Amino acid sequence: MNNILDIMIEAHDLRRAFRHKEAVAGISFTARRGEIFGLLGPNGAGKTTTIRILTGQIDPSGGSAMVAGCDVVKDRARLKERIGVVFEEQNLYERLSARNNLAFSCWLYGLPESRADEVLDLVQLRDRAKDHVSTFSNGMRQRLMIARALLHRPPMLFLDEPSRGLDPISARDIRLAIKQLSEEGITILLTTHLMDEADQLCQRVAFIVNGKIVANDTPRNLKLTHGERVLMVTLTEHGQNGHSALQDMTIKLDDPADQQRLSVWMAQDRVLAIHSHEATLEEVFIEVAGVRPA
Amino acid sequence: MHIRNILAIARKDALDILLNKTTLFFLISPILIAVLFAIIGGLLANRSASTGLLLYNPGNSHVEQYIGNVLTGTPIVHAHSSDEVASAFGPQGSHNNTPYILGLVVPPNFDESLRAGSHPQLTLYINASAWSAGDQQLLEHALSDYARSVTSPQPPISFAVTMVNLPTTSNFVQDYTQRYAMAGLLYSLTIGISFVPGLLVEEKEKKTLRMLMVSPASWGDVVLGKLLVALVYQLLVSAVVLAILGGFSGQIPALLFFVLLSSCFGLVLGLLFGSIIQTNGNVGTFVGIVSLLYTLPSLVLGPLYNVLQGTPFEQAMRVLPMYYMADAFLKALQGQATLQNTFLDIIVLLGGTILLFFVSIWSLRRQAAVIGAI
Repeated sequence: MNNILDIMIEAHDLRRAFRHKEAVAGISFTARRGEIFGLLGPNGAGKTTTIRILTGQIDPSGGSAMVAGCDVVKDRARLKERIGVVFEEQNLYERLSARNNLAFSCWLYGLPESRADEVLDLVQLRDRAKDHVSTFSNGMRQRLMIARALLHRPPMLFLDEPSRGLDPISARDIRLAIKQLSEEGITILLTTHLMDEADQLCQRVAFIVNGKIVANDTPRNLKLTHGERVLMVTLTEHGQNGHSALQDMTIKLDDPADQQRLSVWMAQDRVLAIHSHEATLEEVFIEVAGVRPA
Repeated sequence: MHIRNILAIARKDALDILLNKTTLFFLISPILIAVLFAIIGGLLANRSASTGLLLYNPGNSHVEQYIGNVLTGTPIVHAHSSDEVASAFGPQGSHNNTPYILGLVVPPNFDESLRAGSHPQLTLYINASAWSAGDQQLLEHALSDYARSVTSPQPPISFAVTMVNLPTTSNFVQDYTQRYAMAGLLYSLTIGISFVPGLLVEEKEKKTLRMLMVSPASWGDVVLGKLLVALVYQLLVSAVVLAILGGFSGQIPALLFFVLLSSCFGLVLGLLFGSIIQTNGNVGTFVGIVSLLYTLPSLVLGPLYNVLQGTPFEQAMRVLPMYYMADAFLKALQGQATLQNTFLDIIVLLGGTILLFFVSIWSLRRQAAVIGAI
């Protein structure tokens, strides 16, 4: 039985319309403490609008939501103390140094400025504390934004497209940081259109298309439930001059004809190797949502 | 609203303004213009500096040596006729750009007349911008002592005094110094108008406003923080400008009141446009136009006063609230501000500030409703 204290996000039939267009059309989901929950979908699906509602930036047109024990409409002041948000845009003060950017947030949250040094250590930017943010790379800026979101030790973190625009190494570093935060007990809701990233990071994902959740489960369950059951079979082909050639074939286990073919090959002793091919989250998404992720 | 958040935002913006080359330029330019005005004013003062005593003493009376001992260090220039002295000063009460501080016409045979018991008349001309009433009395006593030394103890002489450049009206140099101070002060008021919309718009453009909206700061905290930092910088720069231009003269409390009132007007004007404008490019256009609106009245009532006074252009400037700022500043600097003659200035500025304030609040509330969607 789920302990109510373990539920960090509880959204019921959330709705939000902009000028007669419903950007969020009835979203319901929960996220548990310490979980990394992914909200996946193509551009314009409603991911960012959902985050804006859950972080108290805009009011929902309908429905309700509780985040970290706070109602997102009625308890906004307390909500802001209990969440950290890393935005899709790199909204740092470019002319200020890294430390001054964090010091400003310390002043807003009523924290001592020494806390800025602590989080700079956490994201390994201490040696660049006095440098202006305008001199930072994308990866460094992203790490600084994560540091800013963690200043006040929130139990709930929202990450909107955390590795957008990053090179592979920086993106990997960000993912490692996210995993570490989750292991420390911070609940993370991240939005992304990168299915690989969601597959690596998220304990549970929800697919959102046209403002509605079309699937909500662990990545493994989604792949098992919706992905095609496929085998990759390596066959030998005996040539006339005595040499052997290799041939890779794909077998769909749900196709009787393919099952028959596999049986024949095995009887002919031509099967060298068999590998299972697990569906990717992207393939599952396309099948479930009927659209490409981005 | 939370004072901690307001101060945090003001503190951050205070630092950011110094690091931003554009805002730093806006901060320094009124000071540079004040220095330029001070140099021009100084040059004018040097050209118009009054020196020396113009003396017509055809009888070579010893009064010349006596006055020379009294007015130690003051050069004595000899006139060739009494008319020369009169033309250098007169007529009575006129505004005369004379280079002399005193003029004295000693009648011929002055000393002999004194010994004979006559009452000869000394004609004294005074430049009141360089010679005070107290100094005049001292000189008259000295001349009387000389006369007594020559004749009997009874005051044997009478004085016919012609005074020009009376202290109730400013002289050329003082007048222009005050007008330049007014112009420099008015230009310094463009700081608040340029900072407030720029600070607001940049938060929107750089999306940092979104970050603020998920922090403990509210939209009201953001606005008040920016108004606070703009007001502080505004008043600081205005004080520096006044100090450079020798503006801390006249009715200082009245001057400070008008500076504060005008600053508030500029801030709410900037606030209104900051709530409407969405890009920094448009802020630049707005600031350019408003700077022109501040510059024109400062020229009309300032350095170009003698040229434009009473012209249709000067009349047209009266539709601008900035004209009334300039008028109030000038009257306070000249020590001539009264409630009656500044009433219209106060009404225009106060009424304008209140009206702009309410319009700004209405516009900001509309902004706040959509701020999460920016």
